[in-house]
Amino acid sequence: MLKEKGQITFEDKWPSMRPIVLKLLKQETVTQTEWQDLFGAVHSVCLWDERGPYKLRDSLQQDITMYIKQAQVRVLAQREDQALLKAYIAEWGKFFTQCNYLPTPFRQLENSINSISKVTSSNTSSSQKKNNNNNIEDSLVRKLMLDSWNQSIFVDIKERLQDSAMKLVQAERNGESFDSQLVIGVRESYVNLCSNTIDKLQIYRENFEAAYMQATEEFYKLKASEHLLANGVQSYMKYADQRLKEEEARAHRYLEPGSGSVAALTQCCERVLIGEHLPTLLAESATLIKAGETEKLQLMFRLLDRVPEGVVPILRDLEAHIVSAGLADMVASADIITTDSEKYVERLLDLFRKFSMLVKDAFLDDPRFLTARDKAYKCVVNDTTVFKLELPSSTLARGSKGTAPESKCPELLANYCDMLLRKTPLSKRLTSEQIEIRLRDVLLVLKYIENKDVFMRYHKVHLTRRLILDSSADSEKEEDMVEWLREVGMPADYVNKLARMFQDVKVSEDLNTQFRADTTRHDAINIKILNAGAWARGSERVTVSLPLELEDYIPEVEEFYKKKHSGRKLQWYHHMSNGTITFANSVGRFDLDVTTFQMAVLFAWNQRPMEKISYENLRLATELPDPELRRTLWSLVAFPKLKRQLLCYDPLIQNPKDFVQNTIFWVNQEFALIKNGKPQRRGKINLIGRLQLSTERSQIEDNHSIVQLRILRTQEAIIKILKMRKRITNTALQSELVEILKNMFLPSKKMIKEQLEWLIEHKYMRRDDEDINTFIYMA
Amino acid sequence: MSGEDCDGMDRGDNDGPKSDKMFTLKKWNAVAMWSWDVECDTCAICRVQVMDACLRCQGESKKDSYGKQDCVVVWGECNHSFHFCCMSLWVKQNNRCPLCQQEWSIQRMGK
Repeated sequence: MLKEKGQITFEDKWPSMRPIVLKLLKQETVTQTEWQDLFGAVHSVCLWDERGPYKLRDSLQQDITMYIKQAQVRVLAQREDQALLKAYIAEWGKFFTQCNYLPTPFRQLENSINSISKVTSSNTSSSQKKNNNNNIEDSLVRKLMLDSWNQSIFVDIKERLQDSAMKLVQAERNGESFDSQLVIGVRESYVNLCSNTIDKLQIYRENFEAAYMQATEEFYKLKASEHLLANGVQSYMKYADQRLKEEEARAHRYLEPGSGSVAALTQCCERVLIGEHLPTLLAESATLIKAGETEKLQLMFRLLDRVPEGVVPILRDLEAHIVSAGLADMVASADIITTDSEKYVERLLDLFRKFSMLVKDAFLDDPRFLTARDKAYKCVVNDTTVFKLELPSSTLARGSKGTAPESKCPELLANYCDMLLRKTPLSKRLTSEQIEIRLRDVLLVLKYIENKDVFMRYHKVHLTRRLILDSSADSEKEEDMVEWLREVGMPADYVNKLARMFQDVKVSEDLNTQFRADTTRHDAINIKILNAGAWARGSERVTVSLPLELEDYIPEVEEFYKKKHSGRKLQWYHHMSNGTITFANSVGRFDLDVTTFQMAVLFAWNQRPMEKISYENLRLATELPDPELRRTLWSLVAFPKLKRQLLCYDPLIQNPKDFVQNTIFWVNQEFALIKNGKPQRRGKINLIGRLQLSTERSQIEDNHSIVQLRILRTQEAIIKILKMRKRITNTALQSELVEILKNMFLPSKKMIKEQLEWLIEHKYMRRDDEDINTFIYMA
Repeated sequence: MSGEDCDGMDRGDNDGPKSDKMFTLKKWNAVAMWSWDVECDTCAICRVQVMDACLRCQGESKKDSYGKQDCVVVWGECNHSFHFCCMSLWVKQNNRCPLCQQEWSIQRMGK
């Protein structure tokens, strides 16, 4: 018995095994006995015949190959594409099913071959062997089957298969319908065919995916150009958008999920449909932006954003549009806006809203487009075509040799702000909420202003006037505004100064109350005694010889103040002080709000009411400096709101500069306020106009000091950066500098260079010996 | 202030002796600025102007509503003046005036 078994050879067993194997391959019915016999036979052959496993394998392969050849003949018999695919899929389906059954009886064979190879190469770990046993996918026989299919049928007909499949896809693109299962079936065979365990998708990717991509690309290369040529860009964009969506859906159907194919295909489509026509598409963008075609722009944005750098040119077009449309608008209404700050600011805001709307509707507030809007709007705000602020060239040793003109925007913005905060027709017309909205708008525009320091300066001057003249419309709003300025990032030292002015006014009000309680006879006087550091640093005082009526109060105030405080000195700022006087003439009595200078001039007539007084004598009486006296007299002889002026003069002139020594002035006894064409007997008028806080000379100095302060701030910031970095390249320094200074002003390249030179010259820093573009801090 | 307007109006109308003048004063809002009566307006210790709060006070009390008032000026017998805050710290280490090296004694304080 043993001997008999020992003689069992492959040759003995194979003839009985083969029919079963063939049946299995052909998917014919196999009885249970046959199935089990096969197991037994394989076992015996592997056990008793030394060369059995190899012989068995080779024979098996022969039969599989033979079967496959037959299948190939059956498939290739089909001429027509759909039939071919159908036949292939059917054959493959059958075969692939058997890939899961046929290996089972041959487990023993696999074990034997593996254990032999284990003897030869003892590296194979037992765990791997175990794996081989259990995992059907790793089965040797299965691999044998798949590889054979691959070599015998696939290599020969894959071109035809792919072609047929792609033809079907193409037909679908052209609107014909077919059984999508055919293409999917082919794809599945490609995926399953692979016996490469590392990259299971290798065959699929190298053949099916590649063919699919190529076919898609070729299809659209032709179609896209045709459509673009025939229908123009706008229709093409709709076409491309629709096609991209379609292709994505199609790719999900026909390409292997999870393989990255869909993304690759989409990218391919984007390249062919958009990337290659980019210049043609972009040629339309400027026109569409100009026409405000938000829907079309949105489509364009959606399309072009799919390809790298696609939207960059649109950003440029948008920027160019905002700048040119904004400036054109400004230039067109130059007459109004240069004189009317309200109109100007409202114009700017209108533009801002318009552009923002465009960015929102066309580009869905995409951050890149918002940045482009900001950049362009900044250009409009800071543009100097319509009007400019001339900053003087500084003559001081440290100074720069001249500055570029700057936009007048900050000045007008500050004026507008003043109109909202002061008691004006505008602020009276608006509700508190409306004023708040407008102040917020001011802050919005302020964000885009480069020379914020100019705004701050004007804002502070206006605030000073409002506080001194008690002309704020709403003191709560005033203080809100200070906090808002802080919120939008105005420099803290500046905002703190404004806040200090408010505190100081309150301190002074308390003091005034005490003073008035202290004295009995002086109910006609209010005092404001303010902190010189907060209000009037560097401002020039103007001397005036006060009328006796006023002069009398001075010592008493000073004495009162000395009792309250010590170690302080007082300086009278008569150019800021003001009051109300009553003027009585033959027509009636009028209350006049006047400056102290106007008072000084008018009171000169109290001793000699009917006399004519020469310019020279008025100068002697008031001791006012020439420019101030001229300005004061002009406000009394030519006040714009008056039909009958307070003073008459001779000879007549057009300009206060033309008053001469012996120009004579007299009080207009016919003076009256005119209402509805009739002279009134009573009335009140404010002749203060715009309270002059500085002399002409100090105004020039003011502009000087803007430049001067900028120079100091620049130096300060350079040193601050160098102290921290110790050494820094020129480019890095410039960008850090702009970052530090941007809430005050935009330092010009020229100024930075000059200040660097100055600091090097004065040994605060030096250039690196090796690299002249690197700076080193010197303590 | 509107109340005073009314007062003035009444008085102006009834005040016989004054009305013979063409212009009569009704109200005067006088403005003056105060500053410390010092020879040098910069504090030699902290290098900040004496009219501003000293460096420490600026740093510490960022917004103490009357913070400014607290940082007063002090004069020594030598007539040199500094922020009181600065000087109080200084004398802990060296009881001499930083400018003239005379022994420091307070002549008066700003108020």
